[in-house]
Amino acid sequence: MLGEILDDLLISASTGPCITASRHFPARPPVYAPFPATMDPRIVEALRARGIEQLYSHQARAWDLVQSGRHVVVVTPTASGKTLCYNLPVLQALVHQPDARALYVFPTKALAQDQLAELEQLAKQLPEMRMFTYDGDTPQDARRAVRGRANLVLTNPDMLHSGILPHHTKWAVLFQNLKYVVIDELHAYRGVFGSHLSNVLRRLHRICAHYGSTPQFIMASATIANPGELAARLTGEDVDELAESGAPSGDKTFLCYNPPVVNPELGIRAPYLGETAKLAIRLLREQIATIVFAQSRLSTEVLLTAIKSGVADRATGDSGLVRGYRGGYLPNRRREVEQSLRAGDVLGVVSTNALELGVDIGHLDVAVLAGYPGTIASLWQQAGRAGRRSGPSAAILVATSAPLDQFMVTHPDYLFGTPPEHARVNPDNPFILANHLKCAAFELPLVADEPFGRTDVRKLAAALEDEGLLHRAGERYHWASETYPADHISLRTVTTDNFVVIDTTHRDAQQTKKRNIIAEVDWGSAFATIYPKAIYLVESVPYEVQELRFREDEEKVAYVKRVNVDYFTDAVSAKGVWILQRFEGREQPGYVAEQGEVLVAEKVVGFKKIKLGTMENVGSGNVDLPQQEMQTTSAWLTVAPATLARVSRSREELIDGLRAVTYLLHHLAPIFLLCDVRDLGSWLGDTTPAETGAVATRESTKARLMNAAEFNPTIYLYDSHAGGIGLAERVFEILPDLLRRGLETLAACPCAFGCPSCVGPVNEVGRRAKATAAKLLRELTA
Amino acid sequence: MQSLDDLRRIIRRIETRRPPRAAAEPLERVVGGELVETGAGSLLVVRREYPLEHRHGRVPLDGVRRAPLDVLARVARVESEALAAERLLFLDTETTGLAGGTGTYAFLVGAGWIEGDVFVVAQHFMRDLDEEPALLAALAPLLERAGGVVTFNGAGFDLPLLETRFVLARRRWPATLPHLDLLRPSRRVWTGCFDDCRLGTLERDVLGLAREEDVPGALIPSLYFDWLRRRRAAPLARVFAHNRDDVLSLAALVGWFGAALGAAPALRAEEWAGLGRLWEPVDLERGLGCYRSALEAGLAGEPAHWVRLRLAWWEKRAARWETACALWDVARQRELFDPRPWEELAKFQEHRARDFAAARVVVTDALDLARAAGAADGVLAAFGHRLGRIERRLGLHDPAGAS
Repeated sequence: MLGEILDDLLISASTGPCITASRHFPARPPVYAPFPATMDPRIVEALRARGIEQLYSHQARAWDLVQSGRHVVVVTPTASGKTLCYNLPVLQALVHQPDARALYVFPTKALAQDQLAELEQLAKQLPEMRMFTYDGDTPQDARRAVRGRANLVLTNPDMLHSGILPHHTKWAVLFQNLKYVVIDELHAYRGVFGSHLSNVLRRLHRICAHYGSTPQFIMASATIANPGELAARLTGEDVDELAESGAPSGDKTFLCYNPPVVNPELGIRAPYLGETAKLAIRLLREQIATIVFAQSRLSTEVLLTAIKSGVADRATGDSGLVRGYRGGYLPNRRREVEQSLRAGDVLGVVSTNALELGVDIGHLDVAVLAGYPGTIASLWQQAGRAGRRSGPSAAILVATSAPLDQFMVTHPDYLFGTPPEHARVNPDNPFILANHLKCAAFELPLVADEPFGRTDVRKLAAALEDEGLLHRAGERYHWASETYPADHISLRTVTTDNFVVIDTTHRDAQQTKKRNIIAEVDWGSAFATIYPKAIYLVESVPYEVQELRFREDEEKVAYVKRVNVDYFTDAVSAKGVWILQRFEGREQPGYVAEQGEVLVAEKVVGFKKIKLGTMENVGSGNVDLPQQEMQTTSAWLTVAPATLARVSRSREELIDGLRAVTYLLHHLAPIFLLCDVRDLGSWLGDTTPAETGAVATRESTKARLMNAAEFNPTIYLYDSHAGGIGLAERVFEILPDLLRRGLETLAACPCAFGCPSCVGPVNEVGRRAKATAAKLLRELTA
Repeated sequence: MQSLDDLRRIIRRIETRRPPRAAAEPLERVVGGELVETGAGSLLVVRREYPLEHRHGRVPLDGVRRAPLDVLARVARVESEALAAERLLFLDTETTGLAGGTGTYAFLVGAGWIEGDVFVVAQHFMRDLDEEPALLAALAPLLERAGGVVTFNGAGFDLPLLETRFVLARRRWPATLPHLDLLRPSRRVWTGCFDDCRLGTLERDVLGLAREEDVPGALIPSLYFDWLRRRRAAPLARVFAHNRDDVLSLAALVGWFGAALGAAPALRAEEWAGLGRLWEPVDLERGLGCYRSALEAGLAGEPAHWVRLRLAWWEKRAARWETACALWDVARQRELFDPRPWEELAKFQEHRARDFAAARVVVTDALDLARAAGAADGVLAAFGHRLGRIERRLGLHDPAGAS
């Protein structure tokens, strides 16, 4: 059935020309291994009860490595039975040694819940297993019981950091007997988040050493370029990488789909959301289980609306066959969707990358990716959601009209040939390290010459003593402050300040005081999602925002009413970066490099009304909300006028070239800073200082620079973390080197006019940009 | 710029690293006490003895010996058969903060106990953070000897903190030692009497103790950090005095409870009411007796209203209707409208006495007052509903009369 549809897509006159590439991945047979002889018969029994008669080779290999005392990271595809790789040795240890303990770390609470459910299934007949989650959702009065009873604790890095390690004496029994630490979704810990986790694990090591245990790490990761290296950096241990999967996979086809050109004069393509919906509807009507990945919460809802109506008008009218899934849905709703997917009650799901992580949703036939997800690693992760152990499956990437997407679908060799990204961490970033050193001293006094990463603890400890935070007594530095340091260090950038969305449709009629909360929106995206008059969709049901309460002294709430409209709204945002304070400057030949503090402001200035279905623009509106501001540190580079004049006399050409250089530096810098691309922000502006009332406006960068009276373009690379964590300072230091490496990268890149690996996709920056950028860089490195 | 900053930093460092000035008064002379060798290092212990007749505020310390500890243990819900006054250990800690967790130290631990005919207060002080092993080594035998620990809010603060310290130092923590946390019975007795139930408040208003130049608790951590860095002993004197007073107050409070729980104490009306709350779950009749004494002693205002309703509830359960009605009758005259006594009286007339006319009078009066007081819709509706039913029973069928 699937095969026929795919053939038809390739052949038919309407869709055939849209398929820009097709790759075929042949089926792989399973490689089995018998149950290890040492495995407890009752575990064998538990596996048999679940229909498992033998192991896949990688599961058996993982067992052997773990039994031989090695730290292991398992890197095998989605749905290859990765979790058994760590669950089996852990069950074995806990069943055999009444005192043994295990700690599982997941990046989210939802994943921990999910794993707990799976473990409980597996351990039904193993009364020795006492498994509990311990996180922010654990009620205060249950915590003591969990600490006392659990021999397997499932938690997240944040809870480990602020709730467990600083209270390790309450966990003394666990730390005395900690045999295994399991870290799943290892690839999620990259950049600053990963650097934090690495330090949390350094602290864990100290605590374990204090109690006399040396736990073994068992980790699992999605495919990235360097899982072994990442695992070693995070844990500080020698780690064996296990990448050969013995799990079978069915025959798989990967198609690239570029929506047809509907207006040849202007080169306009059919809206990708509509095309995605069409493809999904076609598959679902043939009873093919499909997951659609959207790139934003809004497009998730828009797609869901379109697909639901498309499926409904032909079949029984039951659109419950397709569900939505994204952050912001209340936990019950999410659990319900996961459950019905596993049970097969639901045929299709439209999701953000929330389902990219390992939430168990069973097996699906096709993954349709509405837009390139931004990284190669995510691409494979999302595509991997489709695939049965036998039988064919497919992934279809539908390109948006954005330059990056267009480049990808028109350069399939690049798309399929580029290895997934590196996950970089820098645990020795002095800002991050110093903060965790505080926590470490709080947990156990620091010994002056004890190892904590690669930094000289003595120097940092002395500095912290000067700050009045540590006190030296004898050979140890003790925490000497009233504060609880973990409370002041967040491992992630996201704030916890969520908006609740309350449905007031029935409030007047029934005089009810009950608050009908239908969703949550995080602070960062609230202004672009639930501004007054916005249409807010929850599983494709439209609500109109009546009022948004966002002032500091009030509860963060959006009041919405159920409406019947045939359009949705899309926010129009503006951005600006202004200098607040210069800390340092350096004159270089051809440019001035500086670093200091900047104001990064984003403002929702209005919205477009877009008709559902046709995606026509049917109106617009203004939004009057304050801009969201962040103060952070930045490095910036201002090109000297004489240099600009030597490169080109066309201001437009220069702007395109500078945008290209900005893109290049932004994507190159993380390699040197050992951070993630998202940990940095970039901006092409000028050297305007932030006067009071600096406000982001609609005007585009290019237009603004084109019209500026004085042309003094400036490239900003700033810290994405409010206040900065030292990345910008480092950029400032290495800038000359970075520019040289930029030029080398350009010269080495085989593309003609720019690609995502160098200056950005050609349509974004223009055909001349690569050449202009090269000229600029030659001037700047002269 | 940068070199100047460096210089400042170096100077600051030299400044803070400088050993304690010889001219400054040594700690032992400021706070008294002597260095004690513990086997895990030495420690400053300040020991003072008080004759048992010593009055802390108005309350003599030997009240502890006279207190009916079995009764106190019962009302305070301590799980122990027998507490002996001579084996009680009164504990209070001064700490480097309230944050909890492993980075908070108890730098001064005051322990009190009866020894022959004196009350001993021994204060254990770590002159630096590395003297903690010595402090714990000195505390351990005290805890081992003790038959029970007395604290104020120790369940929520002092004991978990000490337990953390013991576990960190790999020492056995006597988790099963009976613990009398005076905060619990104090809350029962004095809630409603005072704005808060802090030890300082009880000292002032119950024990009649006026502390002179007491150091606010919130300042204590910074005074200690200051000592660590500058080694100036003088400011610590007030911290020691504060801690000593706390320990003595624990003993005095036990004495107060002992007296109050004893035969025929002389108490204020509010305290009778509080004592009633303390007795109520343990010995109902004694509790009710206390409530009655409170009213007899002239309890007024809200506390009296609360006591009347409470008493009436128990009288109703014992079917002593006359007494109950008398109490409700007084309670309904409260200035601020309270529907509960009205409702109870109406129920009594309607269901017990079956005097529907009287019931109707109660409910109509209640409704008038409820409306005037702007009572909640639910309250009005409930009375309206009741009135309708009573009028049906009376044979009155005037829908307009029922609201």
